[in-house]
Amino acid sequence: MARTAVPVRGGPAVSVRPTPTRTSRRRHRAPLRPLLLLAPALAVMGILLLYPLVRVVLLSFQDYTLANVVSGASDYTGLRNYTLLLRDPYLWTVVLPNTVVFAILAVGGTVVLGTLVALLLQSLRPLSRTIVIGCVLVAWAMPAVTGTYVWIWIFDVDRGIVFQLLHGTGLLGAEGHNWFTDRVSFYAIVVLNVVHHGFPFVAVTVLAGLLTVPGELHEAARLDGATAWQRFRHITFPAIRPVFAVVTILSTIWDFKVFAQVYLMPGGAGSNAQVLNLGVWSYIRSFAQQSYGTGAAIAVLLTALLLAITLVYLRVLFGSEELR
Amino acid sequence: MTTIVRSATGAARAGAVAVLLSFTLFPAYFMVISGLSAGAASGTEVLVPVRLTLAHFEQVLLHGDFLRYLRNSAVVAIITVVGSGLLALFAAVAVARFRFRMRTTVLVMVLVVQMVPLEALVIPLFLMARDLRMLNSLIGLAVVYIALSLPFAVWMLRGFVAAVPVEVEEAAAIDGASWGRTLWSVLLPLAAPGLVACSIFSFITAWNEFILALTFMNDSDKFTAAVGLRQFFGLNTTAWGPVMAASTLITLPVMVFFLFVQRGLVSGLAAGAVKG
Repeated sequence: MARTAVPVRGGPAVSVRPTPTRTSRRRHRAPLRPLLLLAPALAVMGILLLYPLVRVVLLSFQDYTLANVVSGASDYTGLRNYTLLLRDPYLWTVVLPNTVVFAILAVGGTVVLGTLVALLLQSLRPLSRTIVIGCVLVAWAMPAVTGTYVWIWIFDVDRGIVFQLLHGTGLLGAEGHNWFTDRVSFYAIVVLNVVHHGFPFVAVTVLAGLLTVPGELHEAARLDGATAWQRFRHITFPAIRPVFAVVTILSTIWDFKVFAQVYLMPGGAGSNAQVLNLGVWSYIRSFAQQSYGTGAAIAVLLTALLLAITLVYLRVLFGSEELR
Repeated sequence: MTTIVRSATGAARAGAVAVLLSFTLFPAYFMVISGLSAGAASGTEVLVPVRLTLAHFEQVLLHGDFLRYLRNSAVVAIITVVGSGLLALFAAVAVARFRFRMRTTVLVMVLVVQMVPLEALVIPLFLMARDLRMLNSLIGLAVVYIALSLPFAVWMLRGFVAAVPVEVEEAAAIDGASWGRTLWSVLLPLAAPGLVACSIFSFITAWNEFILALTFMNDSDKFTAAVGLRQFFGLNTTAWGPVMAASTLITLPVMVFFLFVQRGLVSGLAAGAVKG
């Protein structure tokens, strides 16, 4: 999913309100009723989310091309897609670095900027805090597609504002510079786009956490002569570690699978092979080159990577006893 | 001495807020102003516009197919909102009001399913839609969006339904209301704020979605707005005025709805996040 509002970016796994335990204690006389109520939702999710997940794994073991799409026959080749994929230097030198390095930079940027903004918001008076939050949320509300087009326009080669400012100050010649061909500058723009879009979520979530930390703790530390950094490191951070865990995990999941932000950029839809990430590569192998088996194997790789990262994060950040 | 320090930190804070606001608002400002500028031929001309005009909006809405794309998006979004609202409400009542075997399993499954990247689902979903002759169908696309927005909607509505005191329902039952009547006349109005919030989230999901709409809709008559935007791009040059005007039209409803649910969104996220 595109990276926009909470559910829009893929939906965070947080329950909105705690369930009072007493509410689910009754009604044993209609045992079928809950199942009937659940059935439609479960059927829709099962058919359109769970079954496709199984099918993509099955597809990844097949040599599934346009011929198979037409005939409907399957052509199992075992692990061939995976061995070819893992032996492909393109994966190791281009696609994986693009995905992983980008995600590290984007998650780091999003969480650091979001936390700094949260600390700034905390120091503001309520009225100005509300106004600034409203403005910050505008960046989050912007759809990924239109946001990406705005960044392309800003960095437009001939008439973009960045070119004109650099040209005006003499830093860049009249011939300009194509920011979209080189993969470093390409991904610098994607990072800018994704951090700009993602930091409001981190800011408002961390702010909510900050407001739960008792002021007395900071007061006491200040009397003991602790610096601002020491107070953040030894009081704030431990107190709201779960909040950081949540925003980091969600940002990581979202940033590993950015699609529109890469695909819509000049060259991102396949014409520039240097700038693809796992998601876009999978899509292009499947739909532009009709090699659905290979595309599925790449997609499974991406999913497995996301799963592994989520598990590692949960262990590191929560500790095993808290995870249960 | 302290007043000097205080005013210095105050100035630093004001400076930080100014930098933050210009960073966060610039793309939105630049988009709207580019859509409104007569020239829109170069970035710096647009930055402080000399002449404002609605010509680009007029061109986008009256000529070409963009109005149709917006209508397609609206149709898909409305079907998604109604469908996922209804299914999520039923499911939320089931998990919030009943205790049954597999209840926890169902909740965890719902949670796990939304971690799956869309890039992994798009291939099998495309093949399914193709087999069912549902490509280029607005309803087919909406049904997939219902599935996408359901996990979050169920989780969210579950909290709202659980927050309604059971005693209210029991009172209605004692007064002789059937269970269906209780659901409709008692539970639904009380959980309405949750349903509104969840409808808005489903709307935004459907309205913004790109990869599935790109894959499913090959017929340009059936493009959604997010996909139709690509039509404005020429081979070599791009008319940024119309592109930004169209982008503004796509962004506006999302912006309005988003700011509308902002309070519930922030506190809801916080409640979930702080609990870890």
